[in-house]
Amino acid sequence: MEKLIIEPTANSPRILLDPEERNFEFSGESRPENVRKFYLPVLEWMEAYTAGVEGLEEDQRPSGLKCMFNFEYFNSTSAKYILDIFKSLNAIHALGIGLDIKWLYEEDDEDMLEVGQEMSRMSKLEFEYIIS
Amino acid sequence: MAEGKLIIDFEGAISFEIMEQLLNELKSAKQFNVLRKAVRKRVYGTVVESIDNIFKYAAIVQGKVKVLQRRPMIKVKENEGEFVVSAGNLVQNEQIDDLRFKLNRVNQMDDEALKSLYEEVINKEASEEDRGAGLGLITMALRTNENIRFTFDPAGPVHSYFTMHITIKD
Repeated sequence: MEKLIIEPTANSPRILLDPEERNFEFSGESRPENVRKFYLPVLEWMEAYTAGVEGLEEDQRPSGLKCMFNFEYFNSTSAKYILDIFKSLNAIHALGIGLDIKWLYEEDDEDMLEVGQEMSRMSKLEFEYIIS
Repeated sequence: MAEGKLIIDFEGAISFEIMEQLLNELKSAKQFNVLRKAVRKRVYGTVVESIDNIFKYAAIVQGKVKVLQRRPMIKVKENEGEFVVSAGNLVQNEQIDDLRFKLNRVNQMDDEALKSLYEEVINKEASEEDRGAGLGLITMALRTNENIRFTFDPAGPVHSYFTMHITIKD
């Protein structure tokens, strides 16, 4: 499967989904003009990736996935789609793929830490919290 | 709060491009940059959510009236480290009860109750959520320690001008 790279803008994040390196990265600011239009291809890619992994024999599946979330800011509409990304990750995790999820936040930004904790709780996935 | 400095003072039709300009104005303001990171992001986020809210209502109201009697506005005022974000826009009178209910509801909630409402709303499908005053309002309520102040002023037979003020301090 081809990797997905979305370059950042002032109002949308950089996204890298690289199956070969088993590395997913999200960073920057997220408040695109059309949030749904922005995140739909990302969610579709993840859905296709999950289906691809599911189609593999268990011993052929990737052993683990690194996921880094380094958001500077995201608006409430983006939050909905970011939670959907975690729900997709949860589906991948359910296929026996270990996830190493890092949630980065700037020192002194307790709100971003708290949002990460909420996302972790709601998606039932374990995060590691790291000061960026 | 008679004293204080207006960092953003905009009235008119708000486009996404204008939003970018206003956010840049905010980011370059001295009063904004001396704040600690978390508080800076609270002010920034409240401006973003307030403008997003105006967009949602503008989409509903614009199709209904040819000439808007009152244009949207967004203001950010700073006084001794305390920020007040004010936003105003026309709404249809039939929307008032729902909006007032939602504002009163978040104003009465403590952080735990707000978080549980947040979880309920974020898990709804986008189409299920009412336009406006959903997740954005809850997010703003979580970022302020004070109640969101709001008014509805009659503006013609079917519209009212809705104004809300959100105070952020460290």
